[in-house]
Amino acid sequence: MGLYENMLSEPIRQLALREAITIPAELSVRDAVQGMREKKLGCVIVVDEGNKPLGMFTEAMLRRLLIDNRTALDDSVQNHMARQFPCAAIAEPVVTILEAMQAENHRFVCVVDEKGQVAGLTGQKGLMEYVADHFPQIVLTQRAGVEPPRGQREGA
Amino acid sequence: MSDQKRPDPEKFQDPLENYEPREYSDELERALAEEPVTSIHTQPFISISEDTPVHAALETLAGRDIASTLVVDQQERLVGIFSDRDALDKVALEYDAVKDKPVSEVMTANPIHVHEDESSAAALCVMAAAGYRHVPVVAADEKVIGMVSPQRVVEFLLEHLDGDD
Repeated sequence: MGLYENMLSEPIRQLALREAITIPAELSVRDAVQGMREKKLGCVIVVDEGNKPLGMFTEAMLRRLLIDNRTALDDSVQNHMARQFPCAAIAEPVVTILEAMQAENHRFVCVVDEKGQVAGLTGQKGLMEYVADHFPQIVLTQRAGVEPPRGQREGA
Repeated sequence: MSDQKRPDPEKFQDPLENYEPREYSDELERALAEEPVTSIHTQPFISISEDTPVHAALETLAGRDIASTLVVDQQERLVGIFSDRDALDKVALEYDAVKDKPVSEVMTANPIHVHEDESSAAALCVMAAAGYRHVPVVAADEKVIGMVSPQRVVEFLLEHLDGDD
């Protein structure tokens, strides 16, 4: 089966989901940033008491804050999060992620379970990994980060 | 002049007569293996000098609404990349202390990159295996000639996927 057919049939749960950072709405942007640093993740999901997503705050939004309003670091993250953000059910097909990236160049996609609670995070990296896993002998055998052979021979 | 033995044309055996070209499962696999990385849209890209102040580098990202910029030396050779992730990790909570310092102090130095004659699969490998979202492309003289981003890879995938659009 080709890659596209797999994307249409395989659910998002087949992707290597990242553990999402979930935070309450009243947390400060500064604390959210600290959490993103510690978890090495460029996104936090703001959730309600039932762990259902209310918004998303990303490193791209942080970039704009640093330029436009650095005092916002001490504001509640709910004042600066995106209330409309990409979100997909874990049972939806992988092609949903591709469509989100194609349409809006979304970097992260919040994944929810059958109850609507946050189940994980995926996005650009997850999709790249999925495609690489589909063609392991072509992609995962590349010399990533290795210098190519030099023009001059060593030795004699 | 000595006689040189020439191969007998009738005895000549083509060394490639048993060659069987590789078969691919689909067009995308072929494209990943055979198309050079430059077949992915690697232009345009933004580059800044390594002595650009951090605040100016950040303004470049914000002003153009881009996630990363390449950093080059005076010979336009790649020395680093400054991205939203670097801003998150090294600038956001230390802004006043670093804003006037050269971006070379907060960038990701010597990023993993690909050369223009490597296959498109090489760029995908950097993203998938090494985990970097943006992959600089350099020429043989190490000068930057482009950058591969996830969005551009998605465009490449869609161009070569077999399926309904």
